[in-house]
Amino acid sequence: MGTLVGKNITKKYGKDTVLNNVSVQIESGKIYGLIGRNGAGKTTLLSILTAQNPANAGEITLDGEPVWENEKALSQICYSREISQMTLFGPNTMKLKEYLKTAALFYPNWDKDYAKRLMDAFHLDQKKRISKLSKGMLSAATIIIALASKSPITILDEPVAGLDVVARELFYKLVIEEYAATGRTFIISTHIIEEAASLFEEVIMIDKGSIVLEENTEHLMARAYRVSGEVEAVDKATAGYKTYHPETIGRNKVVTVLANESGIDFGGEVQVEPTTLQNLFYAMSVDAELEV
Amino acid sequence: MVENLGEEKSIYLQISEMIEDEILRDILKEEEQVPSTTELSKFYKINPATAAKGINLLVDKGILYKKRGIGMFVQEGAKSAIQKSRQESFYETYVTKIVREAKLIGISKEELAKMIKDSKEA
Repeated sequence: MGTLVGKNITKKYGKDTVLNNVSVQIESGKIYGLIGRNGAGKTTLLSILTAQNPANAGEITLDGEPVWENEKALSQICYSREISQMTLFGPNTMKLKEYLKTAALFYPNWDKDYAKRLMDAFHLDQKKRISKLSKGMLSAATIIIALASKSPITILDEPVAGLDVVARELFYKLVIEEYAATGRTFIISTHIIEEAASLFEEVIMIDKGSIVLEENTEHLMARAYRVSGEVEAVDKATAGYKTYHPETIGRNKVVTVLANESGIDFGGEVQVEPTTLQNLFYAMSVDAELEV
Repeated sequence: MVENLGEEKSIYLQISEMIEDEILRDILKEEEQVPSTTELSKFYKINPATAAKGINLLVDKGILYKKRGIGMFVQEGAKSAIQKSRQESFYETYVTKIVREAKLIGISKEELAKMIKDSKEA
């Protein structure tokens, strides 16, 4: 129940192709991490998956039913985006309290008490006007709506971008708590990868409008290696494997390897270590940059 | 169980090793309950599936067992089982490393043996 599928999605803004034939499958009951650089297409993909933005081509379904203008399907999904502090008519002077009341109308499973507890946890004053909120408070409000929506599929776009370290830790704890209690599906996009990596059961990596990877995080990290040693030894040991971002210092070389399997024996001439999701992402992104 | 998680190996392996360490140090005693998957995942900010994988590894090894509806407990004889399995990997994990480093910095095997013999570590 609750499988969200995007098939062959293409999105263009004028001449720019922002998403190029992208397919994703979001299975129920997992925490997904959507990672990519600024401008990679993360927000566009999320807004298309949640039918807030039409695609030029492709199909989005929830349990086989098209999502577009499908109220029943959309009521299962919460895509909490940062609240706009400006309206067409000037600053958004709505109070937080009113804003939450409006949000409650959108989400059939809205949990008012939970929202209240979250407001307290983030020290938000519900009498405060949207236009007067700081960047951190705006992020917190966005998170509160996402969590309190109790939507079976909950999407958070760069939720921690404006938060300080204490609030970020609080956010991670709240997500785990809620996930452990309910098994809701979460999709969390971020470019602050290191902190959140261990939260993600599945990772989707997007670059320049294409999906580069979509895999179980642990499975992915088990086949990623950092191989170092003398230049020739490293070249010999890694020949035939997909390597990223080679760096040399003196006669030594370090390279990131993404093999097809785990437990590869690179021989005794080189040092082999695991790497982190952030490092893998970095190495792959640096190389992608060079291809342009 | 308050160490930081490192980057050098899979998180689930670190979770299971940490629980083993606690058992070896008698912080977790046999027949005692171990932290739940949710507690572990909240403490370390890791996905509950990862924490569960670490716990299940110890269940498979016969270190922990499940009491239905209550949680995970340390199996009787767990400590000696962990000692036995760690003894088997001790040479590869520690001895080869020390000998290699000693050779690199010019400590002879005799000197190394004397150091170990005279070590103040109880």
